Amino acid sequence: MADTPKTVFTNGTWKENPIYRQVLGICSALAVTNLLANTLFMCAGVIFTLALSSLTISLLRNLIPKRIRMIVQVLIIASYVMMVDITIRAVAPDIHRFIGPYVGLIITNCIIMGRAEAFAGQNKPFISLLDGIASGMGYSFVLIAIALVREPLGFGTILGLELPAKELWWHQWTIMVMPPGAFFMLAIITWIARCISAEKSKT
Amino acid sequence: MNKSSPLYILIFIVAISALFGFGVSMVHYSTEDMLARNLTLHRNRTIARAFDLSVEGKSSEAYQQAVATAIRDTVNIINNREWELFYRTDGRDEVGFIFTGMGFWDRITGILVVSSDLQEIRDIKFLSHKETPGLGARIEEKSFTDQFENLPIDWDAPLAEHIIIGPGDTPNTVDAITGATQTSMALMNMLNEELNAFRKAQVK
Repeated sequence: MADTPKTVFTNGTWKENPIYRQVLGICSALAVTNLLANTLFMCAGVIFTLALSSLTISLLRNLIPKRIRMIVQVLIIASYVMMVDITIRAVAPDIHRFIGPYVGLIITNCIIMGRAEAFAGQNKPFISLLDGIASGMGYSFVLIAIALVREPLGFGTILGLELPAKELWWHQWTIMVMPPGAFFMLAIITWIARCISAEKSKT
Repeated sequence: MNKSSPLYILIFIVAISALFGFGVSMVHYSTEDMLARNLTLHRNRTIARAFDLSVEGKSSEAYQQAVATAIRDTVNIINNREWELFYRTDGRDEVGFIFTGMGFWDRITGILVVSSDLQEIRDIKFLSHKETPGLGARIEEKSFTDQFENLPIDWDAPLAEHIIIGPGDTPNTVDAITGATQTSMALMNMLNEELNAFRKAQVK
């Protein structure tokens, strides 16, 4: 049965979520989630790259020689990532100084190559674009959820804004600033998401 | 044309490389001015923070104004080396210079502010580095750089120990970064060599 926009969207964001179902793109998920602003820029970059690379690869799918398809996919993905990298460096240099190395690593992000190889190479442009956006959003939901816990607990802020009456109740969880905090949060979110999925499949 | 033929593959690769190369170049070209402005802002902000200047606002102009008012920037060539120096115009007894050296992955560049008599480091701020994010890159964090404020330099100690980053209980010691031993050691060696070279150049 052909994929409908609804199934593509549900799969990308929930049923086949790249982070907690496929366990892809974990490096950046752990690295950039201690501040929400960094996370949002990273998510925007990944959604942009996923959507446009899926669209481009789908548009060119009948022209790309099979023997060199992966080289072409990497070239297309790398070009979009460079555009994202230059744009973030120009628009938000402070954020780029922190997430810059990870923006470059979007090129090797398994989610993007995975969607290009598994979906965009065999499907029409619109549905491939939607698949790219949905997978990017699935990635983003998990990262934002982690950042929404790590930043308040680690820095006492959300998007750089101080939490209300912070001095009365807030105590820093240093581990949330450090990479192990992301491991714990990712495990908890994966656990919750899989419990909900299991409940739904039972009913 | 057969898609598997070498000629088709060659033409396809050349065409797609040219197309995407052009796209990336256009994005770079259209943001060139912004990138140059950001670079100037970063440099002025780093100087302002290294000298603890008071800045009214966070705009590029505010930092430019603060640095232009309080700092005199000169370039001296001594012993075949170009020293970029920063002197305070308000008479405070400190001088800054651009230090550089190999980190763990790539070159680290920053501004070191020392007392005019070279007896203590007043502050350190980094202009650029490519250390591992989350590990070596933490040299930029305030908790690390704060340790250098008023850090005495032990000129009687061997070259590698004028200042120490790592274990030790002498006054010229700062804590290394956990999980970034190589970066900490590289930074310690670099700072000691740069301090020594600066002293030898007798640039005060």
